[in-house]
Amino acid sequence: MRILVVEHEPKVAAALRAGLEAEHCAVQVAAIGEEGFYLANTERFDLILLDMMLPGRDGVEILTHMRRQGVQTPAILVTARDAVDDRVRGLDSGADDYLVKPFAFSELLARMRALLRRGRQELPASVRIGDLEVDTGARVATRGNIALELTPREFDLLEYLARHRGRVVSREMLARDIWNETARHTPLDNVIDVHIARLRRKIDEPFAKKLLQTVRGVGFMLRE
Amino acid sequence: MELATAFSGLRRPRDIRTRLTLWYVVVLAGFLCLYAIGTGVLLYLDLYTQLARHTIEDIETVEGLLFFTTDGVLHFRDDYHNHPESKHVQERYLEVLSPDGRILFRNDRLGNLTLGGAVFAREGIGGYSERSDRLADGTRVVLVSRRHSMDKRAVVIRLAYSVEPIWSQLRSLLLAFVMALPLALAGAGVAGLVMARRALAPLAQITRQAEQITPENLHERLPVENPGDELGQLAEVFNRTLDRLEKAFEQMRRFASDASHELRTPLTVMWSVGEISLRRPGTREEYRETIGSMLEEVNRLTRLVENLLMLSRQDAGQIELQQQPVKLLALARDCAAMLDVLAEEKSQQLLIAGDEAAVVMADGLVLRQAIMNVLHNGIKFAPAGTEVEVRAWQESGGVWLRVSDQGPGIPEEHRDKIFDRFYRVDPARSNRNGGNGLGLSIARWAVEANGGTLRLETSRESGCSFVFEFPAEE
Repeated sequence: MRILVVEHEPKVAAALRAGLEAEHCAVQVAAIGEEGFYLANTERFDLILLDMMLPGRDGVEILTHMRRQGVQTPAILVTARDAVDDRVRGLDSGADDYLVKPFAFSELLARMRALLRRGRQELPASVRIGDLEVDTGARVATRGNIALELTPREFDLLEYLARHRGRVVSREMLARDIWNETARHTPLDNVIDVHIARLRRKIDEPFAKKLLQTVRGVGFMLRE
Repeated sequence: MELATAFSGLRRPRDIRTRLTLWYVVVLAGFLCLYAIGTGVLLYLDLYTQLARHTIEDIETVEGLLFFTTDGVLHFRDDYHNHPESKHVQERYLEVLSPDGRILFRNDRLGNLTLGGAVFAREGIGGYSERSDRLADGTRVVLVSRRHSMDKRAVVIRLAYSVEPIWSQLRSLLLAFVMALPLALAGAGVAGLVMARRALAPLAQITRQAEQITPENLHERLPVENPGDELGQLAEVFNRTLDRLEKAFEQMRRFASDASHELRTPLTVMWSVGEISLRRPGTREEYRETIGSMLEEVNRLTRLVENLLMLSRQDAGQIELQQQPVKLLALARDCAAMLDVLAEEKSQQLLIAGDEAAVVMADGLVLRQAIMNVLHNGIKFAPAGTEVEVRAWQESGGVWLRVSDQGPGIPEEHRDKIFDRFYRVDPARSNRNGGNGLGLSIARWAVEANGGTLRLETSRESGCSFVFEFPAEE
């Protein structure tokens, strides 16, 4: 997958390149708007990651122009500004998604996947991780033929982690997708921690092999 | 250059004082002119009327002095004067005509000038025909005609007096006025300037003082000399503005220093954790641990920045509320459903009770955040095994929601500060589990933005009790 990253801050650009290349993407970085605009118009990309505040022409201008030229590549706007007006301006210019700095890399990956998956849903009825089976249709989870007794919220959490198995799920993602909260706040963080602890107690504690892992400072991951 | 400035200054003077005086002088000049014109017109009319009356009276005299000699020639007897030379000072113009326009007599003063031209119909019949006229030599006169019957012959007597003396009187009056006007205006201008300067002197002082106000001397105030007049009121308004400004500035200063202090903590952690880990080679696991620990601080910083941003938006009034009727108890139940797991962990019981119909006009999301923060506080600080109660009720005066716990309560000396930003009852209990010290101040803002108040109930002996109060809907 080819990705164009238009980002002025060299450290951020380098980190994004490294992270995306580790996810087997081909990354092209442009530091200024004009360069990004030129690349987007002359080469084919699967996704564009565009910083909103750039020297010279800013991200919104570039995107508006690009869309007017008929470039339909999915684009995610990245910005340090998150006033409602900025969001509206960004999305109006033709962005497909909007990410506020600072963000977790796992969050970016999740958004990218969602964007590229858009339109073609692939939701398997059940997910297997080792001997853990999550049946999303019947809403039943078993591990090694032992049925796990989960509350609805715990099952939602497990299902979400299972769908993202092998990938880190950040607290932001959980807050937004499981609790439907618009903003992360202190009480919610504690609530998430408690639920994760309880889930771990049920799916991991009785077993030798631990599946639910905490990636310190980043989030949680279900992995064999 | 200076001339140009002076000229442009003349066009539109910059200071109020001069403008005021100029207006004053212009208006005064206007009024004086009107007054002079009015006086002149009245005086003229008056003198003219007098002259006309005198002319009519004179006709009576003249009638008696006219006589026909036997040869039918009309004569005027002018031997009635006590002094013969007096007839030369007579200023009357006299002409006598027959009704068909033949001239029967003209006096010496008139000479060979005509008086009033052809006889018009019914001239002088049944009264006196009075009109203004101008002689061939340009003399303006008031002319009166009278039909008179002498020896059974009708004659038209025309008698006129010059109005030129009236005009010359008016001219000298005008001259006096024109000469006095600049003096009067100059005097008024100077007096006006002095008065305006005196009246505006406090303003100049306010200006000087206001110019010297900087963040460093915001505590200084303007002297109020006369609180009753406009300038005294201005000074007071200015002082009150300074009060508010000083308070806001102080708040901002404290906020900035608190915020930077709060930012420093995670930065210190990151710095030391990173630096220490680099001092000696470590295992892969150790590095993971270090980076994870640093990321946790990054998370904390991020949250802090988000909160600071929200506070600044609150302060700037940039948060738009979408108010609609919100059921307080349902909202509390929603919060409790989310936080229930936290209470369970501490074997606490969340009790939600009260009037289901208690409704307030509010932005549900914002208010929810407030209830969530307060409830979370209760769960956090109350000991295990106790109850946290949320109760909603309404009366005619308003709608209330109370969150009370059976915790240690808040010591007297902290009570009025707990809503301050970054304030913590126990300073040592910072970041780790005490939150960032913004929860209650955000909650209070959220309630106040929705028209209510949030306060700590102080009457209670034990535990802590927060009361949300909303005015009743009209």
